Amino acid sequence: MIFTVTIVDIAFSLALALIIARVMGYFFDKLKQPTVIGEIIAGILLGGFGLGVLSGFTFSFFGLTISLPQLSYTSDEFRFFADLGILLLMFIIGLETSISKLKEVGKPTFFVAFGGVILPLILGSIAGTLFGFSWQESILIGLMLVATSIGVTVRTLADLHVLNTNVGITVLGAAVIDDVLGIIAFALILGIYNPLQIGITITIFFLIFLYLGLKIIDKVMNLGEKINLPKSLLSISLAIFLFYSFFADRCGITGITGAFVAGLLIGQTIQSKKISDDVKAIGYSFFVPLFFVGVGASVDLTAFLVIGVFSVVVIIVGIIGKIVGCGIGAKLAGMSLRHSLQVGVGMIPRMEVALIIVSIAISRGLITGDVAHQILATTIVTTIVTTLITPFLLKATFKYRF
Amino acid sequence: MKNRLITGFYELKIKQVIDKRIWDIPVIEEKDDIENVLKIFGRRHHVWVLKSQKSKELVGVITEHDILSILVPKKFSAYGVGMPDIRSLQYETVTTAKDLMSTKMISCGPDDTIKNVLQKMARYQIRRLPVVDGKKLVGEITLHQMIQRYYEATQYYSLVENKKEG
Repeated sequence: MIFTVTIVDIAFSLALALIIARVMGYFFDKLKQPTVIGEIIAGILLGGFGLGVLSGFTFSFFGLTISLPQLSYTSDEFRFFADLGILLLMFIIGLETSISKLKEVGKPTFFVAFGGVILPLILGSIAGTLFGFSWQESILIGLMLVATSIGVTVRTLADLHVLNTNVGITVLGAAVIDDVLGIIAFALILGIYNPLQIGITITIFFLIFLYLGLKIIDKVMNLGEKINLPKSLLSISLAIFLFYSFFADRCGITGITGAFVAGLLIGQTIQSKKISDDVKAIGYSFFVPLFFVGVGASVDLTAFLVIGVFSVVVIIVGIIGKIVGCGIGAKLAGMSLRHSLQVGVGMIPRMEVALIIVSIAISRGLITGDVAHQILATTIVTTIVTTLITPFLLKATFKYRF
Repeated sequence: MKNRLITGFYELKIKQVIDKRIWDIPVIEEKDDIENVLKIFGRRHHVWVLKSQKSKELVGVITEHDILSILVPKKFSAYGVGMPDIRSLQYETVTTAKDLMSTKMISCGPDDTIKNVLQKMARYQIRRLPVVDGKKLVGEITLHQMIQRYYEATQYYSLVENKKEG
């Protein structure tokens, strides 16, 4: 076998991506905005419409020929790193999700999560259909609006000093649950062509990999610990994570579900304390930022010109869907109107899971061509707008009496 | 000579070395206020958390590191996924011992050997272990105690050795 591409060919692109991502992330953090937005913008700056135009450019200068390195943020090689970033991020989410804490959350949390999943999913799908997208594309738009990104809400609630209130606790729990629901819904919809098969494979996956896994994970980790070599337990954990991603993908429910379930399992063990920091070091230092840079770099900027009205509608639907959906859930669970509104507004931001779902849909060829570019651009605009406006809206709901 | 000493030391049972003064072990109930927890840390470096003083069922432990994590100015995670850790004194998001304690605990039983316990300490980088009988806390074993025990053993052992030779 002859290797035509080596790691050094994209080393320059990777280095540049990491630096720009961190610098932009730092600026956004200083502005009290999510660093992810900075990382996406870093991708846009580096992409085919930014620095990317200089890629491979050769120019002569007093007889010296200088050739700039190729920047390849849409190449297969780069996608490899970005895809591993997605899986690692899902693995980390799983590791940090405590099953026992999820069991403790109250009725309002579940009501809010379900309300906030169902309404945006329906409204997003309707919006897609009205704008002439196919039903699959429309469902994807709805799915993109399902999962809340809790980052800015946590910071805002902390600034308002209400993290410890009923509203704060409900929002935090519901945001975790809707991430999970979003991923499961995505897996289900991927298999919609063959409901019987997907039904069986999902049952098999959850029965064997989750249920049995929970029974034996302690023993496996204890066994893994017997291999007394530096970081060997981390290797075993990564192996479990990769196995799960692989089998989940083969079961047709996407690798991200497997990665998440693997994280959930390992997170229950005593040893997770030891490996979780290492996994975060691997993910957050390298692969995860590359995923967000990749998202920014792969968007076609001309698509932004086309999506004008549509993206505005999606954003509005995304905001209304959460305020009303979560609000009704909270109200049904017995919260006051004011608190229900605060919960609904706190659930508005979308980010990581939305981008993950759309990226996977693109890499699996569920959406292609101009439509793919339009949906990706819409997703990016939606994530940025929803995260930017939430602090203002949330503060308003706490400030004004009505 | 020393080798024989340490192998003998390894084989000692925990129940032979633990402090018999069980009332002196720092404990608190899980529903106790965070201020009571802080108060204990005026004199101690850790506290065991019990379901209730009566049942003595061990449910968690709080160490100085846990206190540090809620005392330090809070920096929230950059990514908005997963369950964020919001525990902080600054935002009053910890109110009881239960909110702060870690539940994933390494423990040992009264019949475990010192060797066993030392290995656990080294592997998990911890300096103290609860001694539990079933779920009930019956004592604690600290690295400090073990070092002292070993030192005393060296003194004692050499005396015995001399006597034998003499």
